[in-house]
Amino acid sequence: MPLLGSFTLLATFVVAAYALAACVAGGRRRSRALIESGVGAFYTTAALMTVASGILIHAFVTGNYAIKYVQRYSDAAQPLAYKITSYWGGLDGSIMFWVFLLSVFGTIAVAVNRERHRELIPWVVAIIAAVEMFFIFIMVVHNNPFDTFVAGSPADGKGLNPLLQNFYMAIHPPSLYTGFVAMTIPYAFGMAALITGHLDDAWLRAVRRWTMIGWLFLTFGLTLGMLWAYEELGWGGFWGWDPVENAGLLPWFTATAFLHSVMVQERRGMLRVWNVTLVITTFFLTIFGTFMTRSGVVQSVHAFGEDPWLAKLFTGFMVLIVTFSFGWVIYRLPLLKSRHELDSWVSREAAFLANNWILLFSAFFVLFATMFPTLSEAVRGQRLTVGPPFFNMWMRPIGLALLVLTGVAPLLAWRKSTLTNLAQSFAWPVAGAMVTTAGVVALGITVWASVICFGLCAFVAVTILQEFIRGTEVRRGTSGADIFSALVGLVARQRRRYGGYIVHLGIVLMFLGFAGQGYKQEENMKLNPGQQGTVGRFTVRHDAITVTSDDQKQMITGHVTVFRGGKAIAELTPARWFFAKHEDQPTTEVAMRRAPGEDVYIVLAAYQVDTQNATYAVTVNPLVNWIWLGFAVLAFGTGIALLPERAFAFAGVSMPEGTATTTLLLVLLLLPGLAGAQTVVPRSELRKQLEADIMCTCGGCMAPMNNCPMGAGCHGLKEQSEKLDKYLAQGMNRDQVRAAFIADHGGQDVLAAPLDEGFNRLAWALPYVVGVSGAAMVGLVARRWSRRADGTAATPEAPPEDALRARLDDELRDLD
Amino acid sequence: MSPKVLKIAVTCFVLAGALGGLMYTTLAEGTEYYIHVDEVMKDPAAWQNKKLQLHGFVGDLRQRPDSLDYKFHVQFNGKVIDARYTGVVPDTFKNESEVVLKGQLHPDGFAVEPNGVMAKCPSKYNPATAAPRTAGS
Repeated sequence: MPLLGSFTLLATFVVAAYALAACVAGGRRRSRALIESGVGAFYTTAALMTVASGILIHAFVTGNYAIKYVQRYSDAAQPLAYKITSYWGGLDGSIMFWVFLLSVFGTIAVAVNRERHRELIPWVVAIIAAVEMFFIFIMVVHNNPFDTFVAGSPADGKGLNPLLQNFYMAIHPPSLYTGFVAMTIPYAFGMAALITGHLDDAWLRAVRRWTMIGWLFLTFGLTLGMLWAYEELGWGGFWGWDPVENAGLLPWFTATAFLHSVMVQERRGMLRVWNVTLVITTFFLTIFGTFMTRSGVVQSVHAFGEDPWLAKLFTGFMVLIVTFSFGWVIYRLPLLKSRHELDSWVSREAAFLANNWILLFSAFFVLFATMFPTLSEAVRGQRLTVGPPFFNMWMRPIGLALLVLTGVAPLLAWRKSTLTNLAQSFAWPVAGAMVTTAGVVALGITVWASVICFGLCAFVAVTILQEFIRGTEVRRGTSGADIFSALVGLVARQRRRYGGYIVHLGIVLMFLGFAGQGYKQEENMKLNPGQQGTVGRFTVRHDAITVTSDDQKQMITGHVTVFRGGKAIAELTPARWFFAKHEDQPTTEVAMRRAPGEDVYIVLAAYQVDTQNATYAVTVNPLVNWIWLGFAVLAFGTGIALLPERAFAFAGVSMPEGTATTTLLLVLLLLPGLAGAQTVVPRSELRKQLEADIMCTCGGCMAPMNNCPMGAGCHGLKEQSEKLDKYLAQGMNRDQVRAAFIADHGGQDVLAAPLDEGFNRLAWALPYVVGVSGAAMVGLVARRWSRRADGTAATPEAPPEDALRARLDDELRDLD
Repeated sequence: MSPKVLKIAVTCFVLAGALGGLMYTTLAEGTEYYIHVDEVMKDPAAWQNKKLQLHGFVGDLRQRPDSLDYKFHVQFNGKVIDARYTGVVPDTFKNESEVVLKGQLHPDGFAVEPNGVMAKCPSKYNPATAAPRTAGS
């Protein structure tokens, strides 16, 4: 099997090389046959990489520990899901996963754009194949995930790092990789356009869509990374400006800049060199980020292995990218001439320009500060470092400036805004900002950055709301539809514009969470059972420490009751888990009481089982959940902006009145029903669960019923068991039984781990589920309607909406 | 040079100058010296009252009962510095573990600032067994 894997990788390299050669030759000779065969070979790489991935996953699942990589990152006791995610748990596998994703994305991109951008395709294939070859080369000569032990294979693996055995970690890296990899596609299209000289704005469409997709995944990956850090690492925050995090942020900045400046090119034919540069820079930064985190150039506390060989290889590749890409840009400069000049600084394109500068400066700053230790060592021979405070000092004002522009840009007209225009547009948002600022100050928040941030959030939110209201009003006036139908029609007509506004709304929600970080409260407290400590408005009482175990790990659990205003509001169980084979690195299991206003975040920092005392690090984190919710909104908005033309064909024809409203109501009615649907646990399963939940009372064994060291003869166990049977016979469910036991016992320490983690997860997953299902539903409905629109093609076009046209005059579509 | 190019050049120059200057001044406050114990011990007086990130291995770790006060040695390449810390420590903080400590050197030892203990955490690309480097390497 490992041999087959290595062979598949080699074969992929050869096939990719052929695809590259055939497409370059075909493109130069304009030979259709050659190009066709090159594209075919390109598709084959995706198939081969899928086979290779299948082989590696098979090795993980069957436990083929003869393969070094499998032995290092998995073991037999690991749950199946984590065996599969071990695929990208290490360096070698993550590179292979990278190539796999790239080949799949490339295939999709080529297949979709084959007819539309026929002249670009050979070069797109060539570029992607070249990038694939680089990574396969690394694998084949240096980091082959199919390497086997030379003599004798171990019986079991070392197991995946427990920190990574976690739901978010299973989905966070693939999402980030997907974002990184997707950025290769716009680069390939950009380069193809440069090489062929087809620099009309048509290629921008393909580039823009793929950048948007990559951007969405990148944002998703970064958000998941934050969520993982917040829930798993237990230091109470979510972003630590670690080089690894920064590596993901860099291309995000430039991609965001591109998504904005590309609009200026589409509308006004300006900034063409700039846009090409941004596409290239974004791609370069994805490679640079990989280099930074894998080669040990930057030292972080997450000490990645130092690998000078890999560093050299990456450096060579990056130099090649820069010379090749910018060489073409310079060669094509005459074709990239701007068609217009900037008319006024009070215009939308100027705002976009400012936004670009700030984003680019952010990228530069983060890059500089991340590389600073390495740079200072090289220049001064003295390793100087800069910490999160330095990053925060700079990024806070930068973030706020960006937030201002988010609100201002939509209010400005293209080309030039008049004063009356401005006064009209700014009145409400400024009023909203002032009221909010006053309100926040009145509430007693004194951190200036947070106060300003809240004010700006209000400013942007009101701006967006105003745009939606105005648009809807105009459309209602012309079409006579009801308010929801008008709204849907409006969004459908200009998906990118209004999708973009929804994305901005998501960003605003995220900024609420960032602002909340400005005044979070932290306290460390060492408590004996029954003792209390206070953080902010909350009082925390330590009840007990328990020790339990399952086949993978031993768990030390602290039992805490949280009070607010004298009332118990939650019982939390922060814990430490000691995984077998990784006993020296216990994982911190944070316990949280989530709420929209503020989270109570408790970490079991230290404990003594014999005296039952515990040290808790308690953090009150205001508004942090709005970040996750903000992402859901952002994803929804991006989805709308990405929806293909066809899906909204219905917007052009007249809809039955009230269609949208009815649909919306239906969706609203359906959702709670779906969320409320629960699975019923079978009886015996339930009993098993409860045995793990409820502590044996034999005195001192501190174990749950299924794990009592005294075995079946234990009197305490018998007593509890009879009670359990009694309650179950009464038809109680899990929660009721546990409640009954607590009532009998007079305290919740009878439970091993009262907090149901699954529910917590559901709570955070809900907004995503709602967002995704909402988007899916919208898509489905749109599809159906568009199909009907096809059938009734004879329906006359809706009368031109004069008022809407007038209002959107600033779009200047016809002028260009 | 056309006036437009000149204007752009001047703007860029002024902006870059302003931001660069600002960065330089703030950098001076924000930087910390990343240094190993043996390097400090060559000339301890020179490093006093500077912000340091001290890299070394923990030894002789003691905790005052019923408190979060820790006293320990940091050693590297045969040189040792006394250190003290109050607060929550990471899981991997124990004797012989590799740490980076943020804080300042005083005549009576190294005072670690709150949350200033960073144990080198094993990354996913470096399994635990391969991680600890021997002192002096």
